[in-house]
Amino acid sequence: MWITFERSGGIMGRKMSLALDLTNLPEDEAQSLRLLLDEMNFFALQDDLPTSPVPDGFHYAITVRTETVTHTIHTTDMSASPSLRALIQDLSTRARTQRKPI
Amino acid sequence: MHRHACVLCITPPHLLQEIARNGSDLQRETALRTIITSEQIRGQRRAMRSVMSFLAAISAGEKQRIVYDAKQGSQLPGTLVRSEGDPAVSDPAVNEAYDGCGATYDLYSDVYDRNSIDNNGLQLKSTVHYQKGYDNAFWDGTQMVYGDGDEDLPAEQRLFNRFTISLDVIGHELTHGVTQYEANLAYWDQSGALNESLSDVFGSLVKQYQRKQTAAEADWIIGEGLFTANVNGVGIRSMKAPGTAYNDPMLGKDPQPAHMKDYVSTIEDNGGVHINSGIPNHAFYVASLEMGGYAWEKMGKIWYKTLTDKLQARSTFQDAANLTSEAAAELFGTNSLEQQAVSKGWAEVGITVNGGTPGTGDGCLTSILRALGLAQ
Ligand SMILES: [Zn+2]
Repeated sequence: MWITFERSGGIMGRKMSLALDLTNLPEDEAQSLRLLLDEMNFFALQDDLPTSPVPDGFHYAITVRTETVTHTIHTTDMSASPSLRALIQDLSTRARTQRKPI
Repeated sequence: MHRHACVLCITPPHLLQEIARNGSDLQRETALRTIITSEQIRGQRRAMRSVMSFLAAISAGEKQRIVYDAKQGSQLPGTLVRSEGDPAVSDPAVNEAYDGCGATYDLYSDVYDRNSIDNNGLQLKSTVHYQKGYDNAFWDGTQMVYGDGDEDLPAEQRLFNRFTISLDVIGHELTHGVTQYEANLAYWDQSGALNESLSDVFGSLVKQYQRKQTAAEADWIIGEGLFTANVNGVGIRSMKAPGTAYNDPMLGKDPQPAHMKDYVSTIEDNGGVHINSGIPNHAFYVASLEMGGYAWEKMGKIWYKTLTDKLQARSTFQDAANLTSEAAAELFGTNSLEQQAVSKGWAEVGITVNGGTPGTGDGCLTSILRALGLAQ
């Protein structure tokens, strides 16, 4: 399973991204990400965006790919559900600690 | 719509104003709403503002600040931690949000005679400690929200400090509120970049006003103090020299252009609203420097008048150039030094005042619908 994460917008307007291959993660971390995705039923989620953009708000794009299916959702801090926010928090932290310019 | 218009026919405006002043709470509220609604139907900003300033005059006319703590969660507004008049608390983020709102309110009130975000004494609401490791600040349509930067990382990995640390960031966020109540610039493409630029302009002016710095003395940096010592940069943007605020192995290089020839076409960040804002930002800087003295006095007044009287939801950079020039002529005279400085500012970024085809301004109907909140 692969996860790609992109954050854009924010007061700085700087893009940040992350590509994760779960097979390269420690098993407990991979397991907790899989649980989180199952819990929110990720593959059934739809885009969840506010009706008009929030000035300086972050915009998130998350794609999860397995051998058989690929699904992408777009969301924001204001509109994401608590479980989706937990996923964003996890992925943001990983992205921030391996910061690379795009 | 029609019903309210008729109410005005029945109750003469002076009587409504009398009720608004002296009636019971319910009468007062009804009268105020009627005044606002009937004026909105006329769709005229000038009329709207005379009503708004009347309302401002009879309301408290004092700043009302309130600060909440999200305690690293996402729930807004969070727990109330400081209200207007309360003494400082031990948490610096709370005090910075409180004082920064005060400094921003003061610039708008002292220099532009504006009573808060809505020019009607709206409470200035801020939430600090939003989420964990949140390197951002935003305006959610009703309030300001600030993260703590990289507080969750080891010191040697931190790039961002807490976002309240920077006064111009607070002025920037609060100005998004002002823009929402005024030109309501659509947050994408050129109108979005103008929205961003106005927040940088007034954010920077808040800082300059507090420090009593002339245009030549000011640093024109947005986000001063936001970066930790680990970052090679002075802030997130430079109005003086867009594209030079940072150049860092971890963060990359400041992508802002300072000229139309380098305008960035992108779909990210709502069409590069934080990138292309460098162009109008630099125009304001050049015009202010050309004029000399305190930027908030001349150029600030011209930009403020343009924001509140002239710009529309889908205005373009060319519109902004033409309209700031028009505002300069109205405030200081045709061919005044001020108007010449405005032209010079825009020329420097590759835009000739009245030189191009202005973007499609909104028609009368759209203005009315927007005033009523029925259209963007
Ligand atoms: Zn902004």
